[in-house]
Amino acid sequence: MKIIFKQLLILCAMLGGMQLAQASSHREAPLIADDPLADNVDVYAFRSPDRPNTVTLIATYVPLQLPQGGPNYYSFGENIRYEIHIDNNPAKPGDELIYRVEFKTVNEDPTTFFNIRLGKRNLKMVYTLYRSDNGGQSFVPIIQNRAVPPTNIGERSINSSLGLGKTYQQLVNESTLYASTGEQVYIGPSDDPFFVDLGGIFDLGDAPRQNGLSRDGLACMNVSTIAIQVPISYLRKKGAAASPVNILDPNYVIGVWASASRQKVRTLSPGKEKYSGEWVQVSRLGMPLTNEAVIPIGYKDYWNSITPYDELADTQLDGFFYNPELALYMDDSQFGGAVPGFAKLRIQRNSLGAFDFGNGKNGLFGLKGSAAVAGTALDDAIFGTLLLPGPGKPRSVDLWPIFHTGVPNVRPYQLATGKNGNPLAAGKPFINNFLPNGGDMLRLNMAVPVTPRNDPNFSSLGIVQAAVLGLTDPNYASNANLQFIPNMDGFPNGRRLEDDVTRIELQAVSGVALAAIGLWYDDYTPGGSPVTQKLLNVITYTTGVEKNDATFKNRFPYVALPWAGDGVCGGKVASINAQPEERSSTVGLQAPQAVMSNFPNPFQSSTTLNLHLASAAKVQVLVYDNSGRLVNTVVNAQKDAGDYQMQVELTQQPAGTYYAVVLTDGKLMQTLKLSKTN
Amino acid sequence: MNLPKFAAATKTMLLVVFGLLLGLNLRASSHREAPLIANDPLADNTDVYAFRSPDNPNTITIIANYIPAELPHGGPNYNTFGENIRYEIHIDNNPAKVGDEITYRFTFSRVNQDPSTFFNIRLGQRNLRTTYTCERSIDGGLSWQTIITNGEVPPPNIGPRSIGSGVGLGSDYETLIESAILSSSTGEKLYCGPADDPFFVDLGGVFDLGNLPRQGGAASRDGLAQYNVHSICLQIPIATLLRAGVNPAPTGILDGNFVIGIWASSSRKSTRTLKTGGGYDDGGTWVQVSRLGMPLTNEVVIPIGYKDYWNSITPYDELADTVLDPFFYNPELALYMDDSKFGGAIPAFKPLRIQRKSLGAFNFANGNDGLYGLKGSAAVAGTALDDAIFGKLLLPGAGKPRSVDLWPIFHTGVPNFPPYQLATGKNGNPLAAGKPFINNFLPNGGDMLRLNMATPVTQRNDPAFSSLGIVQAAVLGLTDPTYASSAALQFIPNMDGFPNGRRLEDDVTRIELQAVGGVALAAIGLWYDDYTPGGSPVTQNLLNVITYNTGVSKNDKPFKPAFPYVATPWAGTETN
Repeated sequence: MKIIFKQLLILCAMLGGMQLAQASSHREAPLIADDPLADNVDVYAFRSPDRPNTVTLIATYVPLQLPQGGPNYYSFGENIRYEIHIDNNPAKPGDELIYRVEFKTVNEDPTTFFNIRLGKRNLKMVYTLYRSDNGGQSFVPIIQNRAVPPTNIGERSINSSLGLGKTYQQLVNESTLYASTGEQVYIGPSDDPFFVDLGGIFDLGDAPRQNGLSRDGLACMNVSTIAIQVPISYLRKKGAAASPVNILDPNYVIGVWASASRQKVRTLSPGKEKYSGEWVQVSRLGMPLTNEAVIPIGYKDYWNSITPYDELADTQLDGFFYNPELALYMDDSQFGGAVPGFAKLRIQRNSLGAFDFGNGKNGLFGLKGSAAVAGTALDDAIFGTLLLPGPGKPRSVDLWPIFHTGVPNVRPYQLATGKNGNPLAAGKPFINNFLPNGGDMLRLNMAVPVTPRNDPNFSSLGIVQAAVLGLTDPNYASNANLQFIPNMDGFPNGRRLEDDVTRIELQAVSGVALAAIGLWYDDYTPGGSPVTQKLLNVITYTTGVEKNDATFKNRFPYVALPWAGDGVCGGKVASINAQPEERSSTVGLQAPQAVMSNFPNPFQSSTTLNLHLASAAKVQVLVYDNSGRLVNTVVNAQKDAGDYQMQVELTQQPAGTYYAVVLTDGKLMQTLKLSKTN
Repeated sequence: MNLPKFAAATKTMLLVVFGLLLGLNLRASSHREAPLIANDPLADNTDVYAFRSPDNPNTITIIANYIPAELPHGGPNYNTFGENIRYEIHIDNNPAKVGDEITYRFTFSRVNQDPSTFFNIRLGQRNLRTTYTCERSIDGGLSWQTIITNGEVPPPNIGPRSIGSGVGLGSDYETLIESAILSSSTGEKLYCGPADDPFFVDLGGVFDLGNLPRQGGAASRDGLAQYNVHSICLQIPIATLLRAGVNPAPTGILDGNFVIGIWASSSRKSTRTLKTGGGYDDGGTWVQVSRLGMPLTNEVVIPIGYKDYWNSITPYDELADTVLDPFFYNPELALYMDDSKFGGAIPAFKPLRIQRKSLGAFNFANGNDGLYGLKGSAAVAGTALDDAIFGKLLLPGAGKPRSVDLWPIFHTGVPNFPPYQLATGKNGNPLAAGKPFINNFLPNGGDMLRLNMATPVTQRNDPAFSSLGIVQAAVLGLTDPTYASSAALQFIPNMDGFPNGRRLEDDVTRIELQAVGGVALAAIGLWYDDYTPGGSPVTQNLLNVITYNTGVSKNDKPFKPAFPYVATPWAGTETN
């Protein structure tokens, strides 16, 4: 293998990849979209880079918070149970460990309409954190009556003495504390760590955008975050060795999911609401994007209402994993032509001349009971009918285990490295998060070492990148032995904040996980290189938005500070939309349509661009950093002729050289060099 | 009348002087304005507008917006009107009868045309497709007539693939809007659907302890730019809105019989029961959860402890309520415009200082008496402040200084009666008769948007058109020789602007902040403290108030010249 694969391997993403497109779980189901306070947005679980004997669990709630959304800024809600659930025992359906958070509201100064005034806070949320280690039979408070930090309203409300007189970082530090049982906890606002081109992807899958620039639709938005750092010794299965037997020790696999529940009956009376009755789950999340882009609209509310353990018995949802809607748009015999953004993603319809993974086809089912699968995970004697449940369910072998069972370190779920062309043979191990004890959960093997975030091999492609290295890098690809490959601790082996799950899941829907284990694309010819054009297409596919808009922190709680309401994310600079000044046009026909200058330059945090537009045009003013990364879309709109002033704020960016580019009607008119100093 | 002298002297200042109409407090109309409703966006009433239609002046256009700060790209389940909610627009036209004369009720239902996809629109099929029924009551809610059934709500403006292309709806968004404009058998024109949020304000600045405009050279930002709302737009013949028995030809441009009060609300059923397996059942009686009349009342006048209560009552309930009145008599915002209180705490409001010694005698600072010392005196005899005229409505007691300006603007409307006339022609006595410029008096409830439908329309392309609304009318009435040369009633441009109703363009945040700063008092001749008798009323304090600006003075998109006037919603692929 090795050399041959050199380029292709990029591709062989393994099966870790997984499924579907798009924005984790913001407004993902009709009912919960109308109940933002209880809307669970994302779940992350990763071994803590700076404290590797712990795992950090993060659940975010309340999507799409405008930093400037006053006067009653967003926060957690009362009368809601926010929970993070952990499963570690496949022999027992149900949670082993549950963290539950409940909130109360305190108004410290009911005489003002401001949220913060003279050290007093309104709508101050105070929480109690409970823990159950007996499957929810009893709960013990482990942190009581602690306030969450306020909304990051702005300089006057937070920093000044008329407000709280502290920096926001101080407030976060004060709210980062240890529970009586040893967990480190932060509960409060943060930047939304997720990133995705919401506007593009939900416009019938336009990711990356085919006309125009992709945009992070969650940039500048905040969420309400529950972050808990738990010692691995609390999380591993009872009876597991104190040190893992190897880096894929099955006793170190946990399943993580989060939920929100409300009491069954809400009674409104004038100006008040009251809740009573049993608790009903209204939102949940494990794997990113499941309920957003796998489950169709008719089942989304139902999906939110059940638990992963309920899914063991449920049979209504399985079909959406065996034959996912997204696969229709990656298959030219179906609606492959309907979504040009996905043109590079085509699933295997004739892999190795035999296997069709198009929706409704049999995939590997034809091998059922044959000698070829004897002793593999597809052998009924091993895991029963779990992975080959029947004909016409082609993705039961890849998307299904990634989402619903975890992936065992059993062939064929090993890299093609060492397989000598037979995908069902034993290969190089790279994942084991098998925990077939429920449906949708984020499954993490805590025995896998941490890839430091500053390691040159660290990659937002997660375990996909581990597969690439395991197939191509001589350090790993020279033998089929188990060894640590960087990013084996990434999605879908848990989920790190940095992991580009949208890209990974879209690639997985198009079959990249199948390719990783040796089920090559249709244009592979026996004896030829598996690095075919189709494989390269999938590997080079990107959604156009690959990283978060704010930089993560290198220590707990890792999420970035929430965007401030009075900052660059708190609305559009009003002058951009001001009436263009009248200007007598002495500019002749030869003059460029747009002329731009800026002041000051160099600058420390922001500079003002002055743009003269000779005639109406679609204007784009884009700022790139030195490595060509788009850092700011200043304008992208139809504008009348006239003079415009635009402020470019690069507060969040490092010092260095930037380029402001102006295009009119798609034509490059001018590039300005901007120097940001410290 | 000595007008020439007055007019000349005031030439500059007049910018200043306006009507008392300007209303109160600051900021972002009513988006997320009270704790409970902030958590129920579908039922959250954000703004109400009412104006005589510029292109169809025998009608009034009423617009009620719901669902604040909709992200244009907020998929996959884009915002739309909610089921199990009653959205209502209420009209009062009869001060003799407490309660609505006309009520429009909108209820919505959603259908998934293709439950097999997670996309909102695919191959011509729409999920969460929303339609509505409109019912009308003209007997105070006793009986209802259905005037629209199955009214189409356009889909969210997701982007060119979902709307324009053949794999989507294969239509153009403007066409979708046009085809959603309906006419009822009873003569109304209707549009219910997404729109650009017509409101504009620097949310991030103002709620950071009043940083409006932003200080220290920072750029002010429109916190609602590139956000959508869901609008209910109604165009109604004036003849339908007139009180029964009123002559359809007004007796003058301030005909008191042409005043209507408008407010909007939303209600939910009292009991919601969640079902296991998803879904819920709603039952019980209807409970009002949101309402709106005047912009910003519940946002910045009512303090946090009373906001939920405010949302739950009607303007008619406010006739009996006494808990809320003090917030108008002594508004919190005034504390930040008064150096004896917290005047130093909000540098951005520095230009706004209320009168503490107007004409050497009158203190309008919180807790002081304002004009109450004149109660029962010969000076107020025959004015609106005379108990014999309107009872104690405008001078209810000591220590309620703003009962004469902010209170009527928000709670009663302003009568065309001394002292509520422009200083033009008053010869220095604020209580004398002056030049009329407003009459939207309808003391039949509390917070409503009050519009005199007899007032002619200022065309939007008229060079005299101004987002300062009736403030600008006051300025013209005091300074422009065309209007300031006599105290006679005549049409002055922008007399049809806020707070005589509310046009989409009106910069209500600025106007209300200036009003809290006492500009309405100044307009009727109660000058600022630095006025010296015999000197020009155009003092530095007055100029400061007049030149005050919030930093965001217009919407981020132009309005349309024809119904529904609101701008096309931002596309999910269009924002940056």
